[in-house]
Amino acid sequence: MPDRSVLLDHVSIRFGSFTAVDNANLKINSGEFFSFLGPSGCGKTTMLRCISGFSEPTEGKVLIGGKDMAGVGPNKRPTALIFQHLALFPLMTVAENIAFPLEVRGASKKERRRRADELLDMIALPGIGDKKVSELSGGQKQRVAIARALAVEPDILLLDEPLSALDLKLRQHMRTELRAIQKQVGVTFIYITHDQGEALTMSDRVAVTSRGVIEQVGEPDRIYNRPRSAFVASFVGENNALQGFIKGQSGDLAALETPMGTFEARVGGGRKYKPGDEALLFVRPEQLIPGATENVFQATLTRQEFEGATNHVFAKAGDTELRISMVNAGLAGSLPGQGESLSLGFAPMNGTILPVGHMASES
Amino acid sequence: MKHLKLAYTTLLAKHGMGAALFIAIAVTLWVVVFITLPQLSMLDYSFRFNLPADQIGTEADHYTLEQYRSFFFNADGSFNTLDITILIRTLIAALIVTMIDVLICYPIAYILAHGAKGVAARLMVIGLIIPYWINEILRAFAFRVLFGSTGVVNTWGMQMGLWDAPVDFIRADVALYCGLAYAYILLMVFPMYNAIEALDHTQVEAARDMGAPLWRVHWRVVLPMAKPGIVSGATMVFMLTAGALAAPQILGGPSSLWFTQLIYQWFNESSNWPRGSAYAVVLLVTCISFVLLMMRVFKVSVGEIGK
Amino acid sequence: MNRHTLFGGAYALAFFSFVFGPLVIMATTAFNSSRFPRVAPWECFTTGWFGELFGNARLMEGLMNSVIIGVGVVALAVPIGLAGALALSELPPKLRSMLYTVLILPILIPGVVLGISTIVLWGQITRGTGAGFLYNGYFLTIVGQITFVSSYALLVFIARLQRFDATQTEAALDLGATPGQAFRKILLPFMAPAIGSAAFITLLASFENYNTTVFTVLSESTFTTALASKVRHGTDPSLSALAVIIITLTLVGALTNEAYQRRKEAEAGGRASRSPLYANPVTRALTHPGIVFAILVTVIGGMSYAGSQYDSSVCEAAVLQEKLDRQEELRAEQRARIEAQEADQQSTLPKSNSAFGGAFGGLGGGTPAPETPVAPKPESPSAFGGAFGGITAPEVDE
Repeated sequence: MPDRSVLLDHVSIRFGSFTAVDNANLKINSGEFFSFLGPSGCGKTTMLRCISGFSEPTEGKVLIGGKDMAGVGPNKRPTALIFQHLALFPLMTVAENIAFPLEVRGASKKERRRRADELLDMIALPGIGDKKVSELSGGQKQRVAIARALAVEPDILLLDEPLSALDLKLRQHMRTELRAIQKQVGVTFIYITHDQGEALTMSDRVAVTSRGVIEQVGEPDRIYNRPRSAFVASFVGENNALQGFIKGQSGDLAALETPMGTFEARVGGGRKYKPGDEALLFVRPEQLIPGATENVFQATLTRQEFEGATNHVFAKAGDTELRISMVNAGLAGSLPGQGESLSLGFAPMNGTILPVGHMASES
Repeated sequence: MKHLKLAYTTLLAKHGMGAALFIAIAVTLWVVVFITLPQLSMLDYSFRFNLPADQIGTEADHYTLEQYRSFFFNADGSFNTLDITILIRTLIAALIVTMIDVLICYPIAYILAHGAKGVAARLMVIGLIIPYWINEILRAFAFRVLFGSTGVVNTWGMQMGLWDAPVDFIRADVALYCGLAYAYILLMVFPMYNAIEALDHTQVEAARDMGAPLWRVHWRVVLPMAKPGIVSGATMVFMLTAGALAAPQILGGPSSLWFTQLIYQWFNESSNWPRGSAYAVVLLVTCISFVLLMMRVFKVSVGEIGK
Repeated sequence: MNRHTLFGGAYALAFFSFVFGPLVIMATTAFNSSRFPRVAPWECFTTGWFGELFGNARLMEGLMNSVIIGVGVVALAVPIGLAGALALSELPPKLRSMLYTVLILPILIPGVVLGISTIVLWGQITRGTGAGFLYNGYFLTIVGQITFVSSYALLVFIARLQRFDATQTEAALDLGATPGQAFRKILLPFMAPAIGSAAFITLLASFENYNTTVFTVLSESTFTTALASKVRHGTDPSLSALAVIIITLTLVGALTNEAYQRRKEAEAGGRASRSPLYANPVTRALTHPGIVFAILVTVIGGMSYAGSQYDSSVCEAAVLQEKLDRQEELRAEQRARIEAQEADQQSTLPKSNSAFGGAFGGLGGGTPAPETPVAPKPESPSAFGGAFGGITAPEVDE
C-alpha cells in the first residue's frame, strides 16, 4: 500500500496583501475521505489548487506521500483534480476523455481502450465509450469525470464542489456513490464543499475553514457536537447563541450569567476562564426541551414553521429569539399555540461555552 | 517589460516552450516589422528630398520640411488651396457617408436584434454578408452600371417622367456616395447589432408599457445601449471611406478627387515618393486625430473597436 | 405592435433592395448582348460575355498571382493572428488594451498608407542590404497584406478564445499532459473551426484587397488590380459575367454552409429528431449539406451547359442592323457632346495608360529611384488630371 497521505506543513498563501490561506497545518491520512468545509471565499479552493500544483505556497511546504512537492508541476504530481464544472473535453468521446491521461503518457490505442472500458465498468456505465460528452446526463458526466481522474491511478483525488451543479435528488444519490467509489479504490479523497450535508455524510474527517484559517478538524459528529469555536458552532447546523459573563468554572463545566438567567454548561475546547470573562453559550434547537428540569427558563412562543417531521418553533426570551426543533408527534401530540408561555431547559452537557469570535453569518 | 516577461512565463507554463516561443516571435514580428517599422520608414521618407538614385546617401540627402511645405503652400507662398480643399472635402464626404450608414443601418441592426426571428433573421444575416464577399471593384462597378447615363436609374427616371435628359449621377458624386455607403454597410450593422442585442428586450417592452412613444424608447433606452456599437462602426466606416481608393477611382466624377487619389498620383504617376509619403502621413494623422476627437466627444475607448 | 412589425418589414425590404438591387442589375447585364453593361434597351440574350471573360489574359494572369499571394498570406496571417489572440489573453488588462489597439490599428489605417509604408520600408532595406530579390511584387504584397489581414484573423480568434474554458487546459495538465500536449490536444482542436474561418476570411481579404496591393504589387498585377484597371479603362459586360460567377459561388457556399450549420445545431441540441425536416428520411437526406451542394452544382452545371450551347448570333445580327441605322445619328450626337465638354474643361488630357506604367519601371535594378514619369505631371496634381478621361464618355466605344 503506497503512502497516500498529504501533509500541509505551516502553509500560507498570499496574493499581494490578501491572505487566502493562513498557516494551515494538518495531515490528511492515507486512504481517508477528507473534506474542507467553509463558506465561499474561505480559501478552500486555493488550498486545493496548492495541493494539485496549480499554485505554490507562499510559506510552508506541501508533502504528498512524504515527499516535498515544491517545484513539481500539476502534471507531475500523484494527484488528480475533479473541477467544479468537470472540464470534460467536449471534442472527445467519453472513452477518449477517460483515456486522455494514458494518451499523453504514450499508451497504445488498444491499451487505452481496454482501460477506458474497465473504468466505465467501474462507474457502472458500460458501453457509453463512443458517445459524445454532450450526450450525457449530469450524473453521467459526473461519473465520467471521476473515471477520467482515476485513469491516472492517482494517490490523491481532489474534488472541487463537483456536485454543486446537480439537482438535489441526484446530489444525494451521488454522495452515496462517491463514498462507495472511494471505498472501492482506496484512494485518498480530498473534497471541497460549502454544503455541510455533503461534508458530514461522506467524510471520515472534516476541516471547517473560515477566512483562510482552519478552525477545527475532526470527525463529523465531533464537529457537530463539540465545536471548538463560535464560527464552527454557528456554521455547522443550526444553533442558538446566548452572550454572557462567566461566573465560575469547575473542570469541564462552567456557569454563565446571561440576561435570561444563569446557566451551567460544558466548556468547549477544554479552555480555562476567569470569572467575568465574556463568553458565548451555544445550544442546538433540538436540545432545547420543553419541560426539562435543568437550566430552566421561560419564553414566549412567537411563530412556528411546519416542515413535516420537524416543527421549527420560534420563541422569545427577553430580547433573544430562540429556535427550537420539535419532533412531530403526529395527531397524538399537541403543540403550544402562538403567544403561549413555554418553560424550556437543556442538559448542561448539551450546552457549549465558547469564547466570543466571529460567527458564520458575519463571514 | 516586467509584464511582458510575466506574460511570457505564464504562456510557457500553460502552453509549453514551442507555443510560447511561437507566440512571442510572431507577435514581435507583427508589431515591429509589419506595423511599426513601415510607418516609421514612411515618416522618415516624408522628410527627404525626391532624389535620383545616385544622389541618395550623398550631401544632398538630408532632412527637410519641403514635402510638407508644399502641401500647405504653393511655390509662390500662397496657400495650396487645391490640395487642402481636397483633403477637407474627402473628410467631409467620408463623414457624410458615415452618417448615411448610421442612419440606414440602425433600423436594420435593431430589427435584426429584436424583431426578426428564426429563418428571417438567418436570411438577413446571410443577406448582409453576401454582398461583402463580392469583390470591392465589382461592387463599385455595379453602381456605375446602375447610375450610368443609360443605367437603370436614368432609364426608369425618364420613363416615369421624373426628368427628361439623362442625369449625370457620376459627375454629381451620387454614385460615389451610394457606392461607398453600400460598401461598408456590414461594418456598420454588425457592431451596432452586437451592442443592441445585449439589450434585454423586456426593457423596450417595459418602456412601451409605461407609455413612452417609439421614438422616445429608442432615444432613451436603445440608443444609449447602441452607442459603443455605433461609434465602433462609425470609426471603421469613416476610416475606410476616407482611405478608399478603388471606389473614388471608379465612381468619382472627373472634377472631384479623393485625397488618396492624390497620393496615388504622387507615387504612381509623378514618381515623387517623398511627396507621396508626406501626403500619406497628412492623411493618416488627420484621420486618426479626427477619430480620436470623435471618440473623446462620444466618450468611447479604442478598445471597443472591432467588437 | 402590428403596425411596427409592418413598418419594420417594409424597411427591411427596402434596405435589402438597396443591398441586392445593384447586384441583381449588374448580374442581369451579363446576359445582354449590348456592348455597354445595361439592362435597357435589352438587345439579345447572350452568354458570350463569359467566353470573353475567360479570354482576358491579363485577368487570368492576375488570378494566378492572386492565388499565389493569397496562399502566402493565409499561411502567415492565420498563425500570426492566432499568436496575437493568445498573447492578448495572458497580458494584464492595461497592457492588453494597449497591444489590442496596436494590433487592431492596421484595419483602421488607410490601405493606401499601408501599401506606401511597405514599399518604402522594403525599398530602403533593399538599398541598405542589396538584397534585391526581396523587392518584388509577390513578396511585398504578401508582407503588406499580412499587416492588416492578420488583424481580421485576430478578431476571429479573440471571439473564439473568449468561449474557451481555461480549466480545460488545467484539467489536461492535471491529468499528466505536458503544456505542449495540452496546447496541441486541447486548445488547438478547440480553435480548429476558428482557424478554418480565419483562413477563409484572410483569403477573401487578400484576394479582394486593392488599396494596399495596388502599391505593393509593383509591376505585377493581381486579379483585383487587373479588374480595377479594366473598369477604369472602359467597361464591358464581361465584368458582369464575372460578378455572376462570384455571386453564384458565394450563394452556393452560403447555402451549403447554412445547411451544414443548421444540421450541426439541430444535432447538438438534440432537436434533430423533433424537427419535421429531419424526421422524414427524404427531406433529411435532401437537407444534408453534401446533397445540397451536389444539387446546386448540378443545377448550375446544367444551366451553364445549356447557356454555352445557346447561340445568339441570329438575334445579334438583327440588332446590329438596327443599330447601324442609328449609329450615325448617335455618333454625331456624342461627338457634339464631347466637343462641348472639352470646351468646358480645357485641361482634360487624353488618358495615358500610365496607371501601372510610371513609378515602377526601374525595378529591375532593385532601385526604386524615381524616373521621369511617363505622363509628366504639373507640380501639383490637378483635380482635372487625366485619370478619369475614360469615364466622361464611356459609351463611345463601338
